[in-house]
Amino acid sequence: MSEADVARLAPVRFRGRGFVLRPRWYGSLAAFVIIVALWQAAGSYGWVSPLFLPSPLAIVRALVALTLSGELVGHIAASAMRIGVGWVLGTAAGLAVGLAMGLWGLARSIGISVVSALFPIPKIALLPLLILWLGIGEPSKIATIALGVFFPTTIATYSGVDSVPRTLIRMAQSFDLPFAGIVRKIVIPAALPSILSGFRISASIALLLVVSAEMIGADRGIGAFVLQAGNLMQTDQLLAGVVVLSIFGLIVARLIGVLEARLLAWR
Amino acid sequence: MRFTRRTFGLSAGATLVTMHRAALAQGTAKVRVGVLRLASSGNVFIAQDHGYFRDAGLDVELKFFDAAQPIAVATASGDVDVGVTAFTGGLFNLAGKGAVSIVAGQSRDVAGFPLMAYLATAQPSGASLKSMRDIEGKSVGITQVGSSFHYSAGLIAEKYKFALSDVKFVPLQSMSNVASALKGGRVEAAILPATAAQPLIDSGDARLLGWGGDEAPWQLGAVFVSQKMKANPDLIERFLTAYRRGCKDYHDILLASVKDGVAALTPETQPLLDAIAHNTNQPVDKIRVGLAFIDPNGALDVQGVAHQLAWFQEHGFVDKGFGLDKIVDPRFVKVP
Repeated sequence: MSEADVARLAPVRFRGRGFVLRPRWYGSLAAFVIIVALWQAAGSYGWVSPLFLPSPLAIVRALVALTLSGELVGHIAASAMRIGVGWVLGTAAGLAVGLAMGLWGLARSIGISVVSALFPIPKIALLPLLILWLGIGEPSKIATIALGVFFPTTIATYSGVDSVPRTLIRMAQSFDLPFAGIVRKIVIPAALPSILSGFRISASIALLLVVSAEMIGADRGIGAFVLQAGNLMQTDQLLAGVVVLSIFGLIVARLIGVLEARLLAWR
Repeated sequence: MRFTRRTFGLSAGATLVTMHRAALAQGTAKVRVGVLRLASSGNVFIAQDHGYFRDAGLDVELKFFDAAQPIAVATASGDVDVGVTAFTGGLFNLAGKGAVSIVAGQSRDVAGFPLMAYLATAQPSGASLKSMRDIEGKSVGITQVGSSFHYSAGLIAEKYKFALSDVKFVPLQSMSNVASALKGGRVEAAILPATAAQPLIDSGDARLLGWGGDEAPWQLGAVFVSQKMKANPDLIERFLTAYRRGCKDYHDILLASVKDGVAALTPETQPLLDAIAHNTNQPVDKIRVGLAFIDPNGALDVQGVAHQLAWFQEHGFVDKGFGLDKIVDPRFVKVP
């Protein structure tokens, strides 16, 4: 054995680590701090007019004033109720329809054409009709959010069910597992990752839609507040409302992260 | 330099260009004006189509908007130089920050000229409303919180001494939404401009309670200029001279011919009506009905505007801490 051969036989460094992404918590924080600092500097040094872009300080001041007057709590409570109820209703319906589309051929042929036809309709265009059908109370606002949530959930569920490995289902069938058991023990757990990523999207859509939902006759709610501030060109208040919506978004993303960690622990 | 045909052509061309530039500098100045495509902007349309702006050495380009608020924003951002439209909370806020200045008045809501219609739904829920005063305790559809409709209702509440908080305002964002809610009886009453109210009254979907101007008159519209335009007082003066000629024609010829709410069709009124019809894309017969009041001198009811500003500030729609002197330019404003 030559020396070259010996070198070749020496233990090889482990190379197959894959691309493991380790989160660096300070990264997001630093980016956030730098952006806010630049923004504040732009306002303080007069690079941009405060009318076109209010400084972070002005936004914080507006937020503090809103909190102290108790207005903010009322707005948040009203919006949280609408988002919560709308999202739960839309998600429940979306899960049921999506599951049916994944499991039965007839439901799928009907569902795909109906969903494709109705999904692209801008819900805002339907507002005058929604007012006539459901009035200007809570039902029309909740319906707007539920409708917006329903379609992405349906699609995520259906494609999740569709991508369950066929071999697993065949195996269960050969073990003579009943249909309900296959759905409960194999289809749903395997479709869960897709469904949960659908939740991420639908929760953001619910937050987006709260502004359009509160266009119709709302005097309370973050969406109504943002609209009113925009109408009145109170740009600092407008951005304060937007900040509250972003915080909503962060909280919801965190909640879904927890849900994913719990439900997908088997992976 | 040898004078060939080519160099001659070049120098002649160059001379023409410099001459043209000079003409632009001292002659016709370009002014972009933001207006609503409504008959209430009639004086501007008359001044434009009858060449009054051209006589003042202005090359006016009309930019059309479908709501008052965006005109104020476009003027603040410099997309148009002059805005002619209704007062809104947004206009006050922008003016308070120095982005626009008010230089003249436009339409006024006065008795005998229909502008703000108070309507009750024809559904059973609206049966208890007999007059405008009865909006107390009812749900009232409006386009936006802090809009001119909201302020008009505030004046009615002041006149009849009930608290505005006893009216349940329902902001529905657009006039079509308000009309839809009123038709379906989802609101008991609504406030709409005359043009949007008339079809509802004609079709029996709504009942007219009264006109805002008959009960509580106020200054509805204004002319305001951008910061860039404000730096050029001569330009503003020229613009307003032509603008006031339009106001005078509108008031002295058109409004003077109005009988029972309809303007007469005479050789004098015809060209004015044509100018309005041409710019609003509406038939003359529709324009003749329900013309809004415009002061013959484009005067601004300064006290009325001060009251309006105080009302908006009191209700939190406009930032506190500035007064009328900050938003109205006294060099140009005429008082009725």
